[in-house]
This record gives sequence, structure tokens and C-alpha cells, in this order.
Amino acid sequence: MTTLSAHGISARLPSGFEGRIFQRSAVGGEVARPVAHFATFPLPADVADFGAGAVNLMAPQDIFSVLFEYGPESLGTALFARNGMPRQLTGQDFSTITLRRGIPSQSGTQWFFTESGRPFTLYVVLGNHAQRASLVPRVNALLGNVDVAQVGSAVP
Amino acid sequence: MLALICVVTVVVVLLAVLVAGLLRSHADILRALHDLGAGVGDPTGGSVHDHASHDHAAQPVPVPLHMGPPLPGERNASSAPDLVGVSPEGDAVAIGVTGVDRLTLLAFLSSGCATCAEFWASLQDPVSSGFPPDLRVVAVTKGPEFEIPSEVARRAGGRIAVVMSTESWGDYEVPGSPFFVLIDGRAGRRIGEGVANRADQIADLVRRAWDEERPPGQSGSTSRAAAVGLDGKEREARNDQELQSVGILPGDPSLYPERHEDLFATTSSPSPMNASGPDSTKDQTGTQGR
Repeated sequence: MTTLSAHGISARLPSGFEGRIFQRSAVGGEVARPVAHFATFPLPADVADFGAGAVNLMAPQDIFSVLFEYGPESLGTALFARNGMPRQLTGQDFSTITLRRGIPSQSGTQWFFTESGRPFTLYVVLGNHAQRASLVPRVNALLGNVDVAQVGSAVP
Repeated sequence: MLALICVVTVVVVLLAVLVAGLLRSHADILRALHDLGAGVGDPTGGSVHDHASHDHAAQPVPVPLHMGPPLPGERNASSAPDLVGVSPEGDAVAIGVTGVDRLTLLAFLSSGCATCAEFWASLQDPVSSGFPPDLRVVAVTKGPEFEIPSEVARRAGGRIAVVMSTESWGDYEVPGSPFFVLIDGRAGRRIGEGVANRADQIADLVRRAWDEERPPGQSGSTSRAAAVGLDGKEREARNDQELQSVGILPGDPSLYPERHEDLFATTSSPSPMNASGPDSTKDQTGTQGR
């Protein structure tokens, strides 16, 4: 397995996946946070945080996943009360209306949680909802190999 | 005089000690080499030392020597490791080249080599440069420790996927830039690699491999234009050129058929009307329209 690590996020990518972990340049007074993209198709150079510019390129058998970190002010809020990233999703977790950008036949799921003291959202898009039975196990194979280190720990 | 004799004596004694030390060090080295099986002297002769406890080591062993890039016979020319590195912008990037249903062309380039300049330009639009559609092209440079990321970004122009990874150069045993590797993602192996001076040389080789790997009808498009790598404006221009070559110019009535039969006149039952009637021009359109 190929291991991709940056900004305290580490992923051992299952076969067929590629990924990118980055942190955008801060604009104005904002504080940029790490973002991780994982996909089973070639990721374009410029993809928006939640996949605009990429999800429109997905084939029915493709998967796109985002791990997006929020600021420490989100810690302890009700939205991020869940402890730990979901690692075992089911087909029922996906819905055709849970999409940032509604593309016919695609479906998605989004989770907010706190992992290693860091608030995140996980957003996953399936290329075709009808193929969720075969796609969700691949998603779980990816999620089972994603690690988040505590801020300030030795993991890059 | 006495002082001079004393000084000379001391010097001689010191030199004697030094020479003795050197001889002992040399003997230690020879002994160690002999234990490794690379000793000097008669290779068939017995050992003058007692090596009872080192019999297994007394046999000559091959000592691998590597000078320069590995020879073709020494290369692991079929493995296809995934790429891991950073983008010119500093993002951590991993690209999987196996376990995917596509061909991937890895172009090992550098920002400084003169020969690479043409490839940086040609790969901006691979289809226009003659590469098959759906081929994924990834430029791989050495890592930021050997390259200037801003220069790589300028060469890539934001249109070429770039991974900066010295490790990948080692994984693929790249002898120098430019160097190209073609990977069949389905088979999970390299199906070609080598060097070239021009993009069309690479495109030709890739197209041959593409044709071999993809049975007819699996390219995602069955059109002739797509089959020869034309799409978009190039495809439109080629269509216009072919129509003009047979005298069909913009505005030609044959381009605006009034009946369904006009489109398939050549396959319909022959009739005097189709052969020589007023619709004969439209029959031509059916032929050219393919």
C-alpha cells in the first residue's frame, strides 16, 4: 500500500486510489486548515475543498472522498460531538440528496466528528448510487487506513 | 653532535613504530579480505591461517559492484509502483497507476534539461500531440531537494499532473531525463519504457500499445475521429476538411436533409429517383456523412 502523509493526516491507500493532502494559502484573516482528497480517478490539479471540479469527472464506478478539518473553535460543539471518524459505512448511509453538487445518479454521505482532538468532516461521493453495494466496501477499505495524529505530535 | 645523533635516533625509532603500525594494519586488512573470500595469493591454495571456525566464509563470494545506471538485463522492468511525492505547490500527492482501468504514461522530466522542454510543451494537450484519448499522463520530476518547484510549476503550466519524487526515480530505475514509462493499470505492470527526442515518437509507441491493449470497441468511443485521437476542434476541422474535399461547402443543401431517407440513401433500395433524380446530391451527403 502506498502511504500518503501530511499535516498530521496519514493514509495507506488501497489499490486504485490516489490522494492529495494540502493546506490552502490563507487569504485575509482566515486560517487555512488541512484538506485531504482521495479518489479512484485522476484528480485535476485544482479541485475545490468539497470536490467541485472533480465530482463531475466521476464514472459510475468511482469514489471521491474529502477529509476537511475545522478550527479548534469547533471543538466541543454539538455538531462535532461524535468521537472518531466513521470507519464502516453502509449503503444506507448514502443518499442522492446528500450532495454538495447534485449530479444525477451520484450519492453521498457526510459526517462531522472529532478525531485525536481535531474537528473534521468526512464527505464521500459515489459515482453511481445503484452500485453502492460494490463501492461502499472500497470506501471502508480506505477509511480503515486513514489515521489522524494529534496536533503537535511527531507524525508529519 | 651528540644532540643531533639523539634527534636522529628518536626520529628513526618513531618511523620504525609508524611502519610497524602500518604493516600491522595492512595485515589486518588482508586477513579480513581473505575471510571474505577476496584474499590475495593463490586462489586454489589452502589457507595459511587457521580458519576452522570460518570455513563457510572462506569460499569466494561475489561482490556486487554498481557503476552508473543498471543495464537492461539488470532492470526490474515490469514492476509499476505507485507514485508518492509532492506537487510543485507543496501538496502531498499519491497517484495510483495500478488497479485502475487505464493506461498511464509517466514522463520523467526535469525543469532544466533542454530536451525536456518540448515534452513539457507537448504534454500540455496530449490529444493534440497525438496521444490516445483517455491516456493519463503524469510528469515525474525529482524531489524539491533537486528541483526548483516554482520552475517545475511554470513548465507544467497547471495543465500537467506533476509529482515531484526522487523516490519514484529510484523505483523506476530512471537513467536520466527524459525517460518514459507506459503502465497498463489493469495488468498492473509496465508495458513499455524508453527514451525519445520528440513527442510524436512517444505518441506513436503509446498508440501501438493502446491498440494492442484495448480490443476494438473498448476505447469508450467508436468514432473514427476518436480512434485517431481527434476530438473537439481538431475533430470539427477534420470533418470540414473532408467535406470540402468532395465539394460540400458551408450552406450546401445536402447538409440539411429534409427526410430521414436522405441520410441513408446509399443503403436504401435503389430507385431511379435516388440514382439520378433531384435528391442525388443528398445521396452524396449520405455517403460522406458516414
